[in-house]
Amino acid sequence: MASNAGGEFTTVIGPDAIFKGELKFEKSVRHLGQFEGQIETTGHLLIAEGAKLTGEVKAGSVDVEGEVKGNLSSTGKVCLTTSARLEGDLHTARLEVADGAVFIGRCVVGTNGQSPVESAKPSQSVKQPQPNQSKEPVASGKK
Amino acid sequence: MARGNSGGTRNRDVICTECGLHVDVALRAMSVFCPHCSQRLILEDFKITGYRASRMFATCGNIVVEKSGVVSAPIRAGNLTVRGRVQGNVEARGVVEVSRTGQIQGDVCASRLTVANGAKLKGFYRIIPELPADQNMEPAD
Repeated sequence: MASNAGGEFTTVIGPDAIFKGELKFEKSVRHLGQFEGQIETTGHLLIAEGAKLTGEVKAGSVDVEGEVKGNLSSTGKVCLTTSARLEGDLHTARLEVADGAVFIGRCVVGTNGQSPVESAKPSQSVKQPQPNQSKEPVASGKK
Repeated sequence: MARGNSGGTRNRDVICTECGLHVDVALRAMSVFCPHCSQRLILEDFKITGYRASRMFATCGNIVVEKSGVVSAPIRAGNLTVRGRVQGNVEARGVVEVSRTGQIQGDVCASRLTVANGAKLKGFYRIIPELPADQNMEPAD
C-alpha cells in the first residue's frame, strides 16, 4: 500500500499556489495551497492544515489536515486529523478520524459497494428459473 | 459547601434524547420523565449480546453492541460502541466507536467517530464536534 512513512514528499504544492485542473502522480504530494479539480493517484496525498481542495480525489491513501469539498475515494487509508474538514462522499478501505475532525457526507468504509450487514450474511444460492419449468403458456399474440 | 445535595443524594446532568435539553437527575435513577417535553427517558447503559429490533432504541446512557449483538433499530445514545452489527440510523451525543468486527448500516450523527481497521460502514455521516444542544438532535414529532 502506498504510504509516506519516510515523511518525504516528491511533490509539494506550496501555500501560495492556486491550482485548477487535473493532477496525476504516482508517489506522494503534499498539498498546502488551493486546488480545484481532480486528483488521481495510486500514491499518497497529504492535504495540509490550511490547504483547500475542491473536487474529486482518487488516491491510494489520503491524510486530511485541511479542508476538502468533494468526493474522496481511497484504496487504502484515509486519515482525518483534528483540523480536518471533509464535506463530500467518502469511499475507503480504512478510516481514521481524530477528535475534532468534521465530516459531513456519505461514507462507505471497508465494503466493496455492498451493504455491510448483507455482506456479513452467509451466501445463499439463488435458484435460477429453468426455462422448461415454466407452466404458463407462451402468449402467441393471436386470439 | 455543596448546594442542592442535602440528604446525601447526588445528581447528574443528562441530555434528553427527545428535546435535547439538559435534565438534572438522581445519580442512581434508571428512568425519568423529561420536565421539558414530558417524554420518558431511559438512563441505563445497555450491552447488547443478541438480536434486538425495535421502533426506537434510545437511552441517555451508553450502548455497547457486542460481537454477537445485532441491533435493527434507530439508536439514540450518549456513546455507542459497536462490535457487532447495527442496522439503523445512529445519533450519539459523544463518540461512536466501531471496532474491527463492527458494522453500521445507516446514517450516523455524532460528535466523534472512531473506526478500527476492518470495520464496515455505510451511510450518511455527520461528524461535528461539540454541537450546541439545540442543533444536535432534532425533536421527535
